[in-house]
Amino acid sequence: MSSEPIERRVSYLGDRLKASRCRICGKEYFEVRDYCGNCGRKSFGKMDSIDLFYEKGKLELCTLVKEPTNKFMKLGSYIYGIISFHNGKIRVSGRLTDQIFNNGDAVDFSSFEGREVIPRFRRRYSVGSRDVVPTISLAFTLADEYYPHQEYTVVKPSKEYDVPGIVGYGVYTSRFRIKEGGLERSVPFVDEDAVTAAVEAGKISLIHSGIDSSQVGKIYVGSESNPYAVKPIASKVAQVLKLGEEEEDVQSVDAVDTEFACKAASSMFKDAASLVNYPDSGVKYAMVIGADNSQAAPRGCPGGELDTFVGYGGSAFIFGKYDVIAEIEGWYSCTSDTPDFWRRDGEPFPMHGGRFTGDPAYFKHVRKATTKLMDKLNLTAGDVDYFVTHQPNPQFPVKVAKQLGFKEEQYAVSLQVNKFGNTYSGCSPVGLAAVLDVAKPEERILITSYGSGAGSDSYLLRTTSQLVDKRKRQKLNVKFQAENPFVEYVDYTTYRRLKLGM
Amino acid sequence: MQNRPAIVAVGRTKFGEHYGKEPEKLIEEAWLAASHECNIERRDLEACYLSDCFLPITNKLGLEEGFLSELTELHVPMEVTRSVSAALLTACQAIQAGVCKTVLVGGIEKMTDRWDKIRDDLMLLEDPWSYYAGGTPETNHELMLRAYMKKYGVTGENLDKLNEALAQVAVKNHANATKNKYAQFQREITIEQVLRARKAAQKPLGLFDFAPISDGASALILTSEAIAKKLTDKPVYVLGYSSATDYLNFPARDDLTHFAATKIAMKNALNMTGKTRWDLQVVEVYDQSTVMELVSLEDLGFCEPGTAWKSINKSCSDYKGYYEINGNRLFVNTNGGLKADGNPLGATGGAQLFEVFRQLRGEAGERQVEIDQAPPRSGCTLEFEGFGTKAYVSILGREQDE
Repeated sequence: MSSEPIERRVSYLGDRLKASRCRICGKEYFEVRDYCGNCGRKSFGKMDSIDLFYEKGKLELCTLVKEPTNKFMKLGSYIYGIISFHNGKIRVSGRLTDQIFNNGDAVDFSSFEGREVIPRFRRRYSVGSRDVVPTISLAFTLADEYYPHQEYTVVKPSKEYDVPGIVGYGVYTSRFRIKEGGLERSVPFVDEDAVTAAVEAGKISLIHSGIDSSQVGKIYVGSESNPYAVKPIASKVAQVLKLGEEEEDVQSVDAVDTEFACKAASSMFKDAASLVNYPDSGVKYAMVIGADNSQAAPRGCPGGELDTFVGYGGSAFIFGKYDVIAEIEGWYSCTSDTPDFWRRDGEPFPMHGGRFTGDPAYFKHVRKATTKLMDKLNLTAGDVDYFVTHQPNPQFPVKVAKQLGFKEEQYAVSLQVNKFGNTYSGCSPVGLAAVLDVAKPEERILITSYGSGAGSDSYLLRTTSQLVDKRKRQKLNVKFQAENPFVEYVDYTTYRRLKLGM
Repeated sequence: MQNRPAIVAVGRTKFGEHYGKEPEKLIEEAWLAASHECNIERRDLEACYLSDCFLPITNKLGLEEGFLSELTELHVPMEVTRSVSAALLTACQAIQAGVCKTVLVGGIEKMTDRWDKIRDDLMLLEDPWSYYAGGTPETNHELMLRAYMKKYGVTGENLDKLNEALAQVAVKNHANATKNKYAQFQREITIEQVLRARKAAQKPLGLFDFAPISDGASALILTSEAIAKKLTDKPVYVLGYSSATDYLNFPARDDLTHFAATKIAMKNALNMTGKTRWDLQVVEVYDQSTVMELVSLEDLGFCEPGTAWKSINKSCSDYKGYYEINGNRLFVNTNGGLKADGNPLGATGGAQLFEVFRQLRGEAGERQVEIDQAPPRSGCTLEFEGFGTKAYVSILGREQDE
């Protein structure tokens, strides 16, 4: 697609699977319609807008595509068919994603037909590097596999807290992994990228928090693998997740991208918390997402040493003052101009400062931010229940935790790098999510991020009783994704192909 | 019918790859053949109704009327439609209204010039949302077959027979094409080849179930009956014509096993003639896939829904040149159909009309159908635009008053 207006319209409808329902006869249509074909003129103004984004469909009929059209070549072979919603009231075309078919594999269509599927927001097809990246949610996954269906139910808040904090969170990693030695790393499917991970994480966090998405007043997306050099990810997230009130195709939300290596998201926690705490801001909730298809050159190339640890995924945290699950008790940030990891504009992969990334970079900043925050709040290592930090590899977080006086039981829960790899902007927040998945009320969590370049943000959180209440809304927690029986392992060649994307 | 339209001559090119020829060379060839046959000059033409499905995309030709004007040095009204049947329909209305007396109806398509992108173009035009979802020009046919199997509970031994019947459609059409010098494919194929290709594709349909990508042109001269008799001894009358439309998006249609547009167009076209469908002895259906030929036999009303595969399977186990349906003989796609004759979209309908015209006049050579030692009296064509999004039925006959 070389036409931006067409791209805008197709994405507007297709990303969210916008549909309409006639209030007179009940007929439903995929696409936004001003009137019903059955009822004609009398139905003007009587069409309800609905969408299928959080719905579950049924794969009615399918066939195999082995020779896709040009723009779908990079998907290889895939199942394509007809998906119905609302007992057949709406039928759409769609393809199954997150499936790798090897040439010659027997495909039994009747084993797919009749199964429940979930629409997934993905890249639509390949385009040239100068074109707008097309997206769509006419990609589906089987509801009884890696990604189960979850209802999105808006729950009226019951309690306002004095201090702001986290009201909900979500973590998304893909179905695919590469396993080398003891290390598993998540690998995007070929139609996934930082944008799709950001949307997934945001979607999961909305489901967990139960807040009305129209009450989110600000969205920050931190990433260093945005497919665009210029164009925000946050605008896509805001539109797909319908953040803020929608009026004439425009969302009343402030959306911005941030970039600071692996602390692009954690840095904004304090901004989000401050914004919702400022009475005149009018922002009831603010969402912070960190999402990356962590970049690394292939092994053997300059910068290729990163290829051993990079992962894929995103995390989203919603901040507010209602039904808080973890209050923010304090923070401290520090920065220095330390070039331990960088990517020049126009270069596809980042460079890495080798041993320089250790002591003068990671360790120095993490120690500094953590000790300063503990001093400020008059705490010792023994006063916190959990310690979370950035995990560029399995060794660094353990070493720095020990240096700071933390014991294994304090930091072990947060260590996720062995399961997902380094998810860059999403990395320390994924560790925080893993802790929130298991913490009890009235526990203290200390999280210190690290971003190359360099800087650290340290936060002290205290959990509330609502943490346990909201937990049951979230099936797709960190453990569920780490230990999912539907995870599919790929070899190095497939991993590079998938990671390179469409 | 006042001013009944009559076809007085037809012409066409061979279908296939015309690597070295520009689109205008193809239509020139078809026009010359037709005009030669009835001995008229280009200056006798009062209008041209041309069709091409996507020359603007394949050959970057936006105003086809212009190059036709240049070619013929005519300044008469010219209109471009997407199929020859659509052009014929408009031309018939002009003749009947008394606006014109002699017109050219033609079609051109040059698909191989855009070989590397043609499947994307075809699918995007057929149904954009299905294209965005990953559909290919083959998928809707395969999904329709899956829907058909499920709706009519065709399983086990019957499913084997259904699959064999579809293979027989391709085999029959290839055999017919060997007697057609204009056909793209001039070789016979076997049921085993069709089945092997499906197995290799791991899909319900394989390479031999689909019509090819083609270049070609076709033309016919349409006049009012009064003039027709001066130009030829054997005019072929357009007794009925009709078209109907359906949704672009196949999954959104009510019935995934049939083409609703065909049923409507056939009913309305028959109503114009006062004939019954069994009066039509030669039928050219739009077999973009073998499934389309099967389903169209049902949609046109020749077979009960869910039964066409049985008639095909039975007829083709000892093929005598026709399908035997409830004791009736039906000659289908005697030119080889789209499968073997070729499918240059904008010209395809012209080849279908060409065939029925030749059959009714007893000029089909080796392919000639005989009923009671005489050529058939009437026949029809079914042409689609898109995946059944538009269906055109044209009914032709030797005698004008029946």
